[in-house]
Amino acid sequence: MKPLLSYQSTTAIIGLMIAVVILFLIRRDILHIKRSLWWIGIALLIVLMGFFPLQFAKFGVLLGVNYPPILILTVGMGFVLIKILSMDLERSRQERTLRRLTQKLAMLEGFQKESKAVEKIELRTKDEKLNDTNNH
Amino acid sequence: MRGSSLAVLVPAWNEEATVADVVSKIREVGPYDVIVINDASTDQTADRADAAGAKVLNLPVNLGAWGATQTGIRFALKKGYHQVITMDADGQHLSSAIPHLLAPIAAQKADVVIGSCTERGSHARKLAWRFFRGMTGLEIEDLTSGFRAYDLPAMKMLASKKATLLEYQDIGVLLLLMNSGLRIQELKVPMSLRLSGSSKIFSSWFKVAEYLLLTLILCTSHFMKSKPCSYVSTRGTL
Repeated sequence: MKPLLSYQSTTAIIGLMIAVVILFLIRRDILHIKRSLWWIGIALLIVLMGFFPLQFAKFGVLLGVNYPPILILTVGMGFVLIKILSMDLERSRQERTLRRLTQKLAMLEGFQKESKAVEKIELRTKDEKLNDTNNH
Repeated sequence: MRGSSLAVLVPAWNEEATVADVVSKIREVGPYDVIVINDASTDQTADRADAAGAKVLNLPVNLGAWGATQTGIRFALKKGYHQVITMDADGQHLSSAIPHLLAPIAAQKADVVIGSCTERGSHARKLAWRFFRGMTGLEIEDLTSGFRAYDLPAMKMLASKKATLLEYQDIGVLLLLMNSGLRIQELKVPMSLRLSGSSKIFSSWFKVAEYLLLTLILCTSHFMKSKPCSYVSTRGTL
């Protein structure tokens, strides 16, 4: 059976589709723009791989990889792992911020409760003084 | 106005059965301000603590025992307290030992005093403690005791962002204190049996395994960093 597309076109289309999805997610405000750089970069790399497969194959041979396409998979896997690690780093940072914010909220409520109690006592003292003055 | 420069911090999660008794007993010992950090309990813990005369800080979401304790330390620092005692809300720690924990800090012999009771640990727990002691260089017998006294420098260190991502008030906290050059002293104190419920941290074998694994990773990551010579650990007995 004759293929509909060449593998260069398929790879390029996948890259372009990733880029479009990323841009769509940014447009809908679902993906933070800071996180988009990595994915756009990956999409561009995929497009480049699609358009220049021979250059990548030569690069594979240079690195001693007998079956060049496997280099792409290995490098891709490495990038994915780095990305996942960076996501966990970011999650840890957010977790720290969230925990401190939660603590601050509890502390602020505590301060508020205390000042309300002080206000109550002051009001009661004022009332008592006023009553004393009226009685006199 | 505050009655003393000391606050007793009691992190509590669903401890309605014991928290009021714990607060009352602390107040019997001295004019200490008791702060109960209600770790998003779903029972009457906050109301019971409040009725017993404690200041109650309500965390909107569950942060775990250490997250709650750190909240109390941060609050105490803001309020100008110079020392804090941390105690469990399940009634295991005896408030009568508080003055003894404070003595080494008052004498400026230690920044942190740990009330320890190794008798309460099972053989497996003791084996785990010995293993972690060997890995970290910590010369503390009771690594998991939550009955501790901290002075101002220790409070400042523990309130910092560095300590926020710790999961438990044990080895991670001790390593942080040790690597900051703070002096840790251990004092043997009597402890009573848990008055109700069971351990929240070790509620299942899965939790125990998770705890051991996380602690192992923590110890391994600090392996090259530990400075056992920079801290003084002295033991005493009540």
